[in-house]
Amino acid sequence: MTFSTGITGIQNMAPELPVQASEDLLSTPMFNLIHSYGVDLHHAESYIGKTTRMSRFERLSTDGGQLDGSGIDPASEVPVRTDIDATMEIYGKCIVTNEQVILWENSKTLTKFTALLGQWLREKEDLLMRDLFSSSVSYINCTGGLNGDQPSNISLNDVNNIENILLGNDARTMLQSLEATLEFGTAGVRDAFIALANTNLCADFQKVQGVLLKSAYPTQEGIRPEEYCSISRFRIFVSSKAARIPSISLKGNTVYTIPMYGLEAAAKIEQNNYTAVIGYRPPWVVSSVAQNSELYAKFAIARAITNQNWISGLNATTFMPS
Amino acid sequence: MFTIVTQGTFTQPSTAVNQYIPLPSGADYFVTTNYTQMGLDPGTGVCVRGEWYGGGITASNDGLAWYKSNSGYGININTFANRSAAGFTYVNKYPAPQAALTGTTITQATAAVASVTNTYSNGDQVVIYNAVGMQQISGMTFTISSVTGSQFTLLGLNSSGFASAASSFMVRRVAPYAPVDPQFLYVTAITQASQAQVTVSQANMVYLGQKLEFTIPGSFGMVQLNNYYLSQNLPVVVTSIVDAYNFTINVNTTNFTAFAFPASSGSPTTQLFATVAPAGQSSQYNPITGVQTGYNFQQLPFHTGQFIPYMLVPAGAQSPGGAANDVIVWQAYKMETGTINAPVPS
Repeated sequence: MTFSTGITGIQNMAPELPVQASEDLLSTPMFNLIHSYGVDLHHAESYIGKTTRMSRFERLSTDGGQLDGSGIDPASEVPVRTDIDATMEIYGKCIVTNEQVILWENSKTLTKFTALLGQWLREKEDLLMRDLFSSSVSYINCTGGLNGDQPSNISLNDVNNIENILLGNDARTMLQSLEATLEFGTAGVRDAFIALANTNLCADFQKVQGVLLKSAYPTQEGIRPEEYCSISRFRIFVSSKAARIPSISLKGNTVYTIPMYGLEAAAKIEQNNYTAVIGYRPPWVVSSVAQNSELYAKFAIARAITNQNWISGLNATTFMPS
Repeated sequence: MFTIVTQGTFTQPSTAVNQYIPLPSGADYFVTTNYTQMGLDPGTGVCVRGEWYGGGITASNDGLAWYKSNSGYGININTFANRSAAGFTYVNKYPAPQAALTGTTITQATAAVASVTNTYSNGDQVVIYNAVGMQQISGMTFTISSVTGSQFTLLGLNSSGFASAASSFMVRRVAPYAPVDPQFLYVTAITQASQAQVTVSQANMVYLGQKLEFTIPGSFGMVQLNNYYLSQNLPVVVTSIVDAYNFTINVNTTNFTAFAFPASSGSPTTQLFATVAPAGQSSQYNPITGVQTGYNFQQLPFHTGQFIPYMLVPAGAQSPGGAANDVIVWQAYKMETGTINAPVPS
């Protein structure tokens, strides 16, 4: 019998287990969910069809109306009602998992997958609202920037033009003013409309005349992390998934659409008995030999622009081509 | 395991059109068979079968074309791209514009004609940009018609009043519908009339009884059509559909400033574009005729514009969608586990 001699090191005695799981999972990336901010939430009843009608009575004419004492009545006016319809749509996603994954994955596989489905549900909902803004709203090209493209990069004049449009159409602001405080480097923020933008525009926002970055707000209390800055009467929220259309500017660069709106410009409608359903189908239901189980998430959503006069926006490119 | 998920058939109308086939489960393999042409002898070289492979193997607007010899039943196989024919395009998310083509001219005509080597089809939507000499339309989306391999017509654009023709331009095909419909549209003309006639650049997207709001920048003249200037600020109502691109509205524009595109030379500082956006609907009922307008439950409620994912099967004798009156059978296959690039080990 021979005995080996020398130092015992990892060269000749490696750990029994080559890896271990850290005490916590790393974060799953999630983009900013901004496209339901300031949007009216309605609920559709069950068993009454899938189209929801939102109606608005337009204001009466203010022409004439004086009574001259002759006893002749003023002209009667037929009120005008505008109907805005939205169709309920259902979206779903599932994860089918083999039992061996659950058996050998380190812990709580189905819990992790459930969290992923929950995140999908909110992300998908956000993108659907983004698509509404990008498809069904008129935008005006920025022209005040200096990058020589059409549309140009964003400028204060472009932002003010949209404020003019919204104010001229009697749109209401929806964010309350932030009172000035006695803190150096801060300033009050007026009551404001909402603007939603792609994160690629952040560098350009910083250069817009009069921009107030979030750090210069008089308070950070209640300010959402998705908010980036305030320009003129707009407080701007950003997301990496906000709308952009690749390669269609005059120079072939990406065009970013920036919806800018006030109260009651758009609506999101949830379906009673069908909002945010997350469920589990056990292996003996999914699989003949009870080996695959299924997690699923479903939700119903309808969306509409409820007042085109209270929403407008800008098409912009970035100063540096993107 | 390779599992068929769905199949179907369609018959091309007397004027063949592109087919958009919804594929809820996606697809790893897609095949079309032209049953009408497959049995003909001689085959005159037309495509009788098309194949598409997923996983990035088949490029956009391509695939394998099985086509007959010019005489007899013999089969040849090539790619649609090599045959300069439109092939399959699989779309699993709202598509970015397809690869750009460089065109040579856009004419000054009552229906502008754009010259560009292409494999587009009638009814496709394209974005035109960097139109040198015609920058006032750069960035607009158009429906195209009278498509040949070298040109197409923009029925929604009267460019006869423009100062010059476009001497070059870029064009990309985009999705047939916006992610959400009804969508905003580009306005290309508005008449001065008691019931103004409006022309838009995309076909068949406005409906009788629909309400609209216009956004007309000062550079286009007729700013009085903006809601701000309208008496009582009521939304505009569509009173008749003239044709695919034209409709009338309930606004008397006789005394409004004339609508006109700004000069190309104004870009990039001229404010663009003139647009019109959906603002609901106004239902009207005629008790004498019993006709109700303003209700189009398929189109007027806000809804998703295009089911995604889908397979674009383009029409054409050399393409998988076939020509007029052809009967096409299609099948979509989906692997139950794995993908075509990473099949389950066995």
